[in-house]
Amino acid sequence: MVPLVLYVLLASTMFVIGLYGLLTQRNGIKLMMCVEILLNSAIINLVAFSAYLPNVNGQVFALFAIALAAAEAGVGFAIMIALYRLYGTIELDNINALRW
Amino acid sequence: MTLGFGDYLSLMGAESLLTGLVMLMILLGLYLKNKNIQGYLALAGLGIALFLSIGADMTKGPIFFGTIEVDALSQFFKLIFISVSLIVVLAGLTRYKDSPAQDEFYILLLLATIGMMVVASSIDLLTLWIGFELASISTYAMAAFDKEKRNLEAAMKYFIFGSVSSAMMLFGFSILYGLTGSTRIAEVAASSMEMMGPATLVALLFVVAGFGFKMALVPFHMWAPDTYEGSPTIVTAFLAAGSKKMGFVAAFKVIFIALVALRLEWFMAFAVLVAITMTLGNVVAIWQKSVKRMLAYSSVAYAGYIAIAFVVVGAVNNGGFDLGVAQNGIAASLMLILGHAFSKTGAFIAVAVVGYMALREGRNNPDDIEHYAGLGRRAPITAFCMLVFLFSLSGIPPTAGFVGKFLVWGSAMDSGLVWLAVLFALNSALSLYYYLRVIMYMYMKEPAGAKIAEPRGYVLAMVVALVAVFYIGIFPQAFVDFASSAAAVLLH
Repeated sequence: MVPLVLYVLLASTMFVIGLYGLLTQRNGIKLMMCVEILLNSAIINLVAFSAYLPNVNGQVFALFAIALAAAEAGVGFAIMIALYRLYGTIELDNINALRW
Repeated sequence: MTLGFGDYLSLMGAESLLTGLVMLMILLGLYLKNKNIQGYLALAGLGIALFLSIGADMTKGPIFFGTIEVDALSQFFKLIFISVSLIVVLAGLTRYKDSPAQDEFYILLLLATIGMMVVASSIDLLTLWIGFELASISTYAMAAFDKEKRNLEAAMKYFIFGSVSSAMMLFGFSILYGLTGSTRIAEVAASSMEMMGPATLVALLFVVAGFGFKMALVPFHMWAPDTYEGSPTIVTAFLAAGSKKMGFVAAFKVIFIALVALRLEWFMAFAVLVAITMTLGNVVAIWQKSVKRMLAYSSVAYAGYIAIAFVVVGAVNNGGFDLGVAQNGIAASLMLILGHAFSKTGAFIAVAVVGYMALREGRNNPDDIEHYAGLGRRAPITAFCMLVFLFSLSGIPPTAGFVGKFLVWGSAMDSGLVWLAVLFALNSALSLYYYLRVIMYMYMKEPAGAKIAEPRGYVLAMVVALVAVFYIGIFPQAFVDFASSAAAVLLH
């Protein structure tokens, strides 16, 4: 059996990658992908812990999290599409009228 | 004790009713030609839900396999959420009259309200997260509702920050679950007390960051002014008064694990965070030209005031004061939340009236303070309501805001945080400056145009908020008792 620590390491690595992407990327779609990576790292954590505890709560949590991540992505892409129609771009650096 | 279906229905009556209503409204939206009736349906549903929440039995204990509990704390917040939603629907009746997509506005609003109510009664991390997401996802769509450029920019910023914060929260929850083997908040708290270690700290850091975004505490506040300024104004009212309070109720439920576990070394860090939050919010608010953005920054400052409760509880934990001080501290914050909810909703709706007026006159920057010149003569009801809401926000008696601020100040003194109490008082004085500036524009400047017909839905919404602000300010005792029993739920 794969040791638990490897799963947690995988999840943490994914989390850091997602966070790095969020800080460096400026394209709307890329940001959405980074958010998905963040959510999935947490889901891997939940499933891994659930298998090792053993305790089924984590897997239930993971299922709900997957469904909600999909809903969130749906609304997110809808906002991006509406942005693209108005601005003709989803490079977020070009969309910055609101400030101080 | 086993509970039957009837008990479930009576305990979750408000949520069940609103969920059913949302389904009905989605169906009706497909067939109705004239959708104006949808707003009245939402209004009636929220009205009944308000009574159902007040009447719910708070002694039944946990339901749904120990994930939901109806207690004083949950009912206190449900009262706030439903009332704020009710006021926003009243304003929406005018704002979205005859608009083809208006049913979606009410559906999203009700869904967000249901999500907040679920958060308020959750005692399990799973239900808490689901409620949080339901409310967040619905409000992302609401922020973009008018599909103008600034709406979409606001919604995009809100979405990015919001989804990152919920991902962080989920990551924190997953670690907590791995460490303790449970998702029940009480069990998580008990186990993390026993085995406090670096992993628990990391998990709590993620959870605090996740809630911090929603509460708009510095340094997680960057999205708030942009989103509040860019969203349609009545949605801003809902975001500032509803969705932000959901962050607080979630934080009250979960961060207390953190505060109990973290002890001395960390609560001072939190105190500094609170001090920075309120000072920054107020200082930046002073030089805003847009009244909407000014109110947004004052919301950031308010997040700091409300979060004083966390510091007070931390101080009580360390200083060996008795639990009564902690209870008063939390109750004071709850009163501040109550007062802020009504005053902020009302103030944003007044901003909506001025924006509506400015747009009809074909001017740019509908939220600019110039449009408030002579409002006392141009729109007397709006101006008077705005005056009261601004007084309430700055803490002048006899308004709801005064009660909250007074109690918070007292609790900070009681727990020995004199420096924080002094800073709080100074900040309140500072905030008076920019509130008074708006009042000066409204009553002492020459009117910039002719008298206008004030839109009826907005006026009704403001009057409801006005009555609430005065009622809580003049007869605070019942509300303070309620807040106090709600605080007792957290500390038992």
